[in-house]
Amino acid sequence: MKILCAGIKTYDIPPDYSGMVLPDKPKLKFLNKVPNLKKAKKEKKKLRDIQGPAQAANTFTAGNYAIVAMGGGYIHWGHIEMIRLTINRKMDARSTFAKWRINAPYKPITRKGLGQRMGGGKGAIDHYVTPVRCGRLVVEVGGRVELGEVEPILTEVAKKLPFPAKVVSRESLAAMQAEQEEKELNNQNRWTFREVARGNMLGIRKVLSPFDLHNHGRFTGKFHLPGRV
Amino acid sequence: MAATLCGKLLTKPGWLPLTQCGRVRHMSKSVTRHRRPMHIIKQKLLAVTEYIPPRRVAAGAYPSQDKKVEESGLVLILKKEVEKVFEDCKMIAVLQNNGSNSEDMLTLRHRLHKHGLIVKFFPNEVIRTFLKDSQYCNMAPLFIGHTVLIVSKQGKVKEMLSTLRGSPQMVLLGACIDGTLLSAQGVQHYAKLPSVTTVQGELVSGLTMLTSRTASMLQHHPAHLSALLRQYVRQQEAPAAEPGAKAGEVEGAVA
Repeated sequence: MKILCAGIKTYDIPPDYSGMVLPDKPKLKFLNKVPNLKKAKKEKKKLRDIQGPAQAANTFTAGNYAIVAMGGGYIHWGHIEMIRLTINRKMDARSTFAKWRINAPYKPITRKGLGQRMGGGKGAIDHYVTPVRCGRLVVEVGGRVELGEVEPILTEVAKKLPFPAKVVSRESLAAMQAEQEEKELNNQNRWTFREVARGNMLGIRKVLSPFDLHNHGRFTGKFHLPGRV
Repeated sequence: MAATLCGKLLTKPGWLPLTQCGRVRHMSKSVTRHRRPMHIIKQKLLAVTEYIPPRRVAAGAYPSQDKKVEESGLVLILKKEVEKVFEDCKMIAVLQNNGSNSEDMLTLRHRLHKHGLIVKFFPNEVIRTFLKDSQYCNMAPLFIGHTVLIVSKQGKVKEMLSTLRGSPQMVLLGACIDGTLLSAQGVQHYAKLPSVTTVQGELVSGLTMLTSRTASMLQHHPAHLSALLRQYVRQQEAPAAEPGAKAGEVEGAVA
C-alpha cells in the first residue's frame, strides 16, 4: 500500500540584514611586514606579552564571526598573509566584510647570522611579529552572511595559526563566557585556586607565580588550561 | 647574583621575601614551545582545586537516572528474588556490615538460622531499582554502603536482637515489620512489646470477667438480691444528704 502524504513545510525566517551596511573596503587590508620606524630598536624577549588572557580586542566590534585565539603565540607576517589571501579569495565581497583585530607585526625578533660565533652582543633584527594573547580575536567577519557560509573559510585559517584557535560567533563567544562564569559560580569544589593562592595556604605561594594570583591557575605561560575555573 | 637580587627585593616594602626569593631567575625561561615542568606542589594544588560540576539530581537516595543501562540476566534474577523476599517476609531488617569476616558471618548465620531467620545479600543497585517502584520506597535511604538483610517469615524481632547483641560488627539501621518502617530504636521498642496472643488473651479475659461477675451475682441467693434492691430503693428515697457514704455502702455491699 502506498501512503501519499502532503504537507506544508515551514522554513525558518531568514535573518534580517536590512540595517547592515558594508564598509567601503570589505576585504582585509595589507599589513606591513616591517613597521615604519625611524630607528629600529632591539627589544627584550618580553614573553609576558603572550602570557595570560587578552585584555584588548577580546570582544566583537563590527562583525559577527571571528577567529579567537585559545592560547598565546606570535603571529608572523607569513601567517597574516595566509589569513589575508585565504579570506579575501574565498569570501564574497558583495555580502561579506572582514576586518583585522590584530596589529601589523611590531615586535622585533633578533637573530644572529648563520655560522657566526657566539658572543659579540645581541644579533640584528631578523623579523617582526605580533604577540597574541589567549582570547583575542584575530579577524572578524560580518555582513549579510550566516555562520555556515564563512565557517569553512575561517576554520581552514584557524588550523594554520601558531596557537590553538577556533571560530566563534557573537552568540557562541557570549555562551562560552557565560559558561565559564556559571562554572565559577556553581563549582562544587570548596577548594578553589583563588582562595588557596590568596590565603597562601601552607605557604603555597612559594611555588606559585604572581600571575597565578590573577589567572587562578587557568594559564601556564602562554598555554590556556581549559576546564579550569 | 641571586644574593644581590634577593637583597634588592627584600628592601622593597610590602613584598613577600619568601615568594620573591623563590621567584629569582636562575636560568633561562624563554622556551615557549612546550609547557615548562610544573612544581609538584603546584600540580597537586591544581589537582585539588579542579572544577566539580553540580549534581543534576537534587540530593537524594537515588543515583542519576540519565543513563539507561541494559539489565543483565543476573540482575533480573536478583530483582525477582528481592521481590519474593519483600512479598513473603513479615520482617525485613536492614543492617550495616562493618567489616565482619567470613567466620563471624558464618556463626551469625548459624545462630540466626536456629530461630528461622535468614541472612540475605543483595547489591544495593538492585534493591534500589526494586524499591523505586514499590510501596517500600521510603526504605531506600537505608541502602548505602555494605548492607545485609535479615528476613523472617514470622516477625522474630526479639530473637534477632538478642542474636545481634553477640556480633558488634553488624549495626541495625532499620526494619520493615508488618509493612511498618521502623528505625533501630523503634525495633527495640517493638521487641519489648508482649506478643499479640498475650495481649489478645488479656483483652478476652478482661471482657469475660465482667460477664462472669454478672453471671455469678445472678447466681447468688434471691434473698440477697432482693435485700440489695431494697437497700437501693431506700437510698433513692432518702434525701441526698450523704451520697458519698451511701455510695460507699452500696459498693461495699456489691463487692
